Amino acid sequence: MLSELEFHNKMIKTDVIIIGGGATGCGIARDLALRGIPHCLIEKGDFAAGATGACHGLLHSGGRYAVTDPIAARECYEENLILRKIGEKCVEQTGGLFVRLPGDSKRFREMFLRGCDEVGIPAEAISSTKAIELVPNLNPEIEEAIKVPDCSIDPFRLCLLNIRTSELRGGIIFTRHKVTEIVKSHGRCTGIKAIDQATGVVREIHGNIIVNATGAWANMIASLAGSEVPMTLVKGSLVITNHRLTDMVINRLRHPSDGDIIVPNEAVCLAGTTALAIDDPDNLVTESPEVDTIISEAGRMIPHFNNTRIIRAFSGVRPLLKSKKADSHEISRGFQIIDHENGMYSIAGGKLTTFRLMAEKMVDTIMTSFNLKKLCETAEIPLDGQEELSGYPLVKRLTDMKNIVCECELVTRQEVERIIKQTATRNVGDIQHRTRLGMGPCQGGFCTFRALGIMNDLSVISPDQSMEMLRGFLQRRYRGIRPALWGDQLREEQLVEYIYLGILAMEKPE
Amino acid sequence: MSVTEYDVVIIGAGVGGLTAGALLAERGFKVALVTRGEPTACLSTGCIDICSRDSKPLSGINALPPEHPYHLVPEKITREALDYFQAAMMDMGIPYAGAAEENRFTLSALGTLKTSCLVPSTMKEAPQDNKESIHIVTFKGLKDFYPGYIISRRKNTKSSVYDAGVYSTMSIASHFEEKEFLEKFITWLTRLDIQEDKIACPAVVGLESASEIVNTISILMGKPVFEIPTIPPSMPGRRLFNALKGHFRKKGGTIYWSWPVAGIEKSGKIIEAVTTPSEGRPNSINAKAFILSTGSFVGGGLTATREAIIENIFNLPVHVPGPRATWFDNDYFSLNHGIGRAGIIADSSLRPADCPWENIFVCGGILADSEILKNGCGHGLALATAHMAAQSCAEYLSDEL
Repeated sequence: MLSELEFHNKMIKTDVIIIGGGATGCGIARDLALRGIPHCLIEKGDFAAGATGACHGLLHSGGRYAVTDPIAARECYEENLILRKIGEKCVEQTGGLFVRLPGDSKRFREMFLRGCDEVGIPAEAISSTKAIELVPNLNPEIEEAIKVPDCSIDPFRLCLLNIRTSELRGGIIFTRHKVTEIVKSHGRCTGIKAIDQATGVVREIHGNIIVNATGAWANMIASLAGSEVPMTLVKGSLVITNHRLTDMVINRLRHPSDGDIIVPNEAVCLAGTTALAIDDPDNLVTESPEVDTIISEAGRMIPHFNNTRIIRAFSGVRPLLKSKKADSHEISRGFQIIDHENGMYSIAGGKLTTFRLMAEKMVDTIMTSFNLKKLCETAEIPLDGQEELSGYPLVKRLTDMKNIVCECELVTRQEVERIIKQTATRNVGDIQHRTRLGMGPCQGGFCTFRALGIMNDLSVISPDQSMEMLRGFLQRRYRGIRPALWGDQLREEQLVEYIYLGILAMEKPE
Repeated sequence: MSVTEYDVVIIGAGVGGLTAGALLAERGFKVALVTRGEPTACLSTGCIDICSRDSKPLSGINALPPEHPYHLVPEKITREALDYFQAAMMDMGIPYAGAAEENRFTLSALGTLKTSCLVPSTMKEAPQDNKESIHIVTFKGLKDFYPGYIISRRKNTKSSVYDAGVYSTMSIASHFEEKEFLEKFITWLTRLDIQEDKIACPAVVGLESASEIVNTISILMGKPVFEIPTIPPSMPGRRLFNALKGHFRKKGGTIYWSWPVAGIEKSGKIIEAVTTPSEGRPNSINAKAFILSTGSFVGGGLTATREAIIENIFNLPVHVPGPRATWFDNDYFSLNHGIGRAGIIADSSLRPADCPWENIFVCGGILADSEILKNGCGHGLALATAHMAAQSCAEYLSDEL
């Protein structure tokens, strides 16, 4: 949290400026905090707004890369062990299965087992009967399965937990602030200017080092400093089901390709992914054919997938470093630190599972440049704030059924008010991310109208702003559900449309 | 298997089904209505939108594209349908204001002026422009109503909060039916010393006697009072449904509640019966004719799968607007979604097109090309086509005799 002074101070001086509030940026903030380096993190949206929040929330065992990228596989497994230890309360140790369907290559199975063995990933081949005992919804026709220590993790919560350490040790955090300029002096980056997207206030922050941890936006930020980060942007799309169809992560035992993973997360499952090269990370559209592909492929592993309700589809951008390989599934998932030799570093590539390692390497580089010696401790010290921020506290929610404003996720008015006060937010998205408000089957159709009404009641936004945000929300919501509209979700959508455009006679925005 | 015989079975308890049923029962036919549950009318504002695309609804209808199902109903019948509705509702104690000649506005909970035609008398004092000043009285803890949205558009609006001691739409509405509660509310209201032209409340002012209650408050306060419809649960929608249900029963109709149709029995060109899996009640109902009034997707008449659109009772041929990618427009606010055209195409007797059976008639939102939201024609179309379907059905049954 900012002190009153810092909040009003439009000019801030620190040592390290981190741009980007994804897992990497938040991980760097935590690492810097533990090594006692003053820092400031700027994020243009909320935490986990880019690829971090738009992935399936898998804590890789490394199995997925055992055949194609043994280095990445080893990193994944080591980080998997570390996160299970330091983030005991926020990782769900589901375990994972790689299932082989009739027709899938047996040769790949051999390569997979050998790869896991070489990297040191525990992998146990089990019979189809045993696999179906573990996951009763599995396709009964599977030939066999290989059990690996995959886990599920909530990426948004992971960011909050990392940021907590930074906040506790004096880190300065600005979300909803967009970097508009990199300030340079004699060819060196000396600071940034960022605009508060809610108020329009411009802040100037000065530091000795700038870390560009903006994922898909890395090249855009680097170009503000006259530098370059050559990247390939690959869109991956996913769907969310209304039910938790499996308690284990289910992978397809074959070369990485479309629709080969299902991850349980809280009360739902996420399935994906696809891989299509794109140009603009700010303009992502999930197409119906992608959704169809994911469902039919996931349906081969868990047949129930074909009939289950899909509540939303979404796409994220994998920020991959440029490579000559043609198939984007095959591009290296490794990461790189680029020293632009002007006081700015870019850290790009990598994946959610290895975010801590990426942060460690980045901060090691910073320590060297500051000529400081303190070693990284992020792998040993448990994450701060886990008791408070972890888990889906359904039991807690059930204690107060009186003032429920989100019926799908049982979020109360008190909870919404608490978040508004705690974060001083003016953006309804911040409430949604922190409470799960609007994450259920109706996708905020009823409760967002209420949450914005409450924000207006508490005078954190004006009536005009609440109206404007309601419009913006409805458009964003629609983008997410449009590719998944059939069955019950289509019914729900027609009802919500009837409410806003019929009962409430909302007019088309100008 | 228990079997019961009727002249007509209506499927669906919405505005169309209950109206068609009442008309046929009135003519002396033995009518049963089967329904899975409450209709979408309960979620509605209770207002009868006839056609909101023109200030004169009947001219609006004339301007609709030629394939619109309104054109299957002669204007004379549409007018009769609206007159009949107003008389029936008056009789049931929920009078409607307005006339088919001219549309009028209600005030929405977002502060917009919503076009409708026949409106519950509790909404008849809604402002027709942005000039009049309004004092909104809302209720503590009512989660579906936020005056701030209205204030953002109508700057001459004030609001006060009343603590009713209960916090849901339903419970506040039922408290208003108690004399003591109403008196206390009016005393509180008087003390506010309201200076604005009109007083508005979210639509929670009573159950069946809302019309009288709003009147009473208005007389005692010496100012017009009106209700603002809320998002579901909607009291005016429920009042409409209860009145239509009461009217249907009064005419002699029978309702089979929670009676989902699971199958049909047919012979040649005739549907003989509908069946249900429910135990302890007749699970097969025979009839000489059937009226399908199951609504569109929300009502449950149609189901969309990834590949097709299905009519859920008789598996009638459905007019599908195109492949799935064309069902929804890119723009959320466009109202031009292809899916609005999905439904059953009917001929001038409201028999489904390309249907192997001769004793089925359709009415309401399940009809193809109705584009209800775009045209603002939901309950109006249901009333008009219900009259037409009932007439065709009566003629068919008389020919049979």
